[in-house]
Amino acid sequence: MKLPHGRLDKSRVVTDPRDTLADVLDRELTGYAVFESQETLLLDGEGRGVMTFTDGVPVLVYHTGTDRGGPPALADLAVPGPYHVSLYTLDAADLESAHEAADLRVPPGMPAERLGGDPALADSTRRAAPDERLSAMGDGDATAPDDGTADQSAVEAFLDDAEKIEAIKQQARSEARERAQEWDF
Amino acid sequence: MVEVFAVASGKGGTGKTTSTVALGMALSDRYDVTVVDADTGMANLLFHAGLSDAETTLHDVLADEAPVEAATYDRFGLTVVPCGTSLDGFRDADPDRLRDVVAALAEDTDIILLDSPPALDSRTSVLPIVLADRIVVVLQPTIPAISDGLKVQEYATTYDTDVAGLLFNKVRESESIEQVSEKTERYFDGPTLAAVPESERAREARRAGRPLLAHAPECEAATAYRAAAESLTVRDGAAADAADRFQSAVIPESL
Ligand SMILES: Nc1ncnc2c1ncn2[C@@H]1O[C@H](COP(=O)(O)OP(=O)(O)O)[C@@H](O)[C@H]1O
Ligand SMILES: [Mg+2]
Repeated sequence: MKLPHGRLDKSRVVTDPRDTLADVLDRELTGYAVFESQETLLLDGEGRGVMTFTDGVPVLVYHTGTDRGGPPALADLAVPGPYHVSLYTLDAADLESAHEAADLRVPPGMPAERLGGDPALADSTRRAAPDERLSAMGDGDATAPDDGTADQSAVEAFLDDAEKIEAIKQQARSEARERAQEWDF
Repeated sequence: MVEVFAVASGKGGTGKTTSTVALGMALSDRYDVTVVDADTGMANLLFHAGLSDAETTLHDVLADEAPVEAATYDRFGLTVVPCGTSLDGFRDADPDRLRDVVAALAEDTDIILLDSPPALDSRTSVLPIVLADRIVVVLQPTIPAISDGLKVQEYATTYDTDVAGLLFNKVRESESIEQVSEKTERYFDGPTLAAVPESERAREARRAGRPLLAHAPECEAATAYRAAAESLTVRDGAAADAADRFQSAVIPESL
């Protein structure tokens, strides 16, 4: 994915990517976010996730570690936080050519659904999305029969990745042991 | 006998408080149940149990300004220990006193449910899980909720607390919950207790300041909570040493 350099808007550590998605939607940001997992031990912790937005609504997702785009890249990003997130703004015109990459596109509500785990935020994102993005992609629940099942299969695909889940568990166990000493129970 | 459960999940908003009160009420047919708002930084159990004007709360007890009995209320067939919502109350509270609170309550009840904070990032937020005998993990059928739930389980088991089971909540009709719960169970040490549907009744109940099982006892969500309570086999902890058990609950030596 090729993107022009944007103007840095915010850079910080968030525990829940939902907060970033809500903030971007709220401010109708046009530009992109770079997500970097702090959990370096995790399999997909290597590499960064890039998500572009038009007026606060997600358009493209790409993961540099796995070189995958679109919905699979969202799965690569779905590891427990915290994440380091940098937000950059761009003019809509500068994103036009990047946004032609149809294979990197995600339905508007999917990041809030899968990364944020927040169906309500996904609903408000879909409401903010232009009509052609909703009809073209089939995103969401009753209004677009397509996506309820697609989203479900993302959860199942996640659950089928035994190796990734074992890595999440192992990471949590070592964190729990470290913290126990720090907290002096 | 007494068994202490922490109702936990890594994320906020999954329905821990709703579930704590609903499970408590469902279990109260068979047991004497006490529910405690152990989410002392973001307390909201009081709003679910019609106790928003409670004078004395867990904050006062943790600040050593009141005995536990002064912060217990009989509501909806439960003994409820609500927590206050003020920042001052949180600041003056000594979270470690929760051990003594649990120990004192344990003398006089069959089941204690601890409504737990949605995070694992501080000593205070992890304490309910350390104190509990087992956790009930509240999940939504989404990737982040399940991966955060896994994290909670691993913290719990590392601290010698077992898993009683999983509660899927806010399940939408479009979701094939059977497959998801079957796959999820492969990675958890406890069974799925129930799948609670996304329910307008639950939101109404919260707005009305009443527990779901009092507001709409016959709705699908309430029925699911009763099924969850049915499938929970409560273990008999030895009553005699209950107090001792919670006062000295620590992370196992082997760490
Ligand atoms: N099954 C459900 N269907 C619909 N809304 C629910 C359900 N369970 C809980 N809620 C609502 O979700 C919100 C968060 O629930 P709450 O129990 O306070 O979560 P937590 O304690 O995990 O933060 C509340 O407004 C509650 O009424
Ligand atoms: Mg709560």
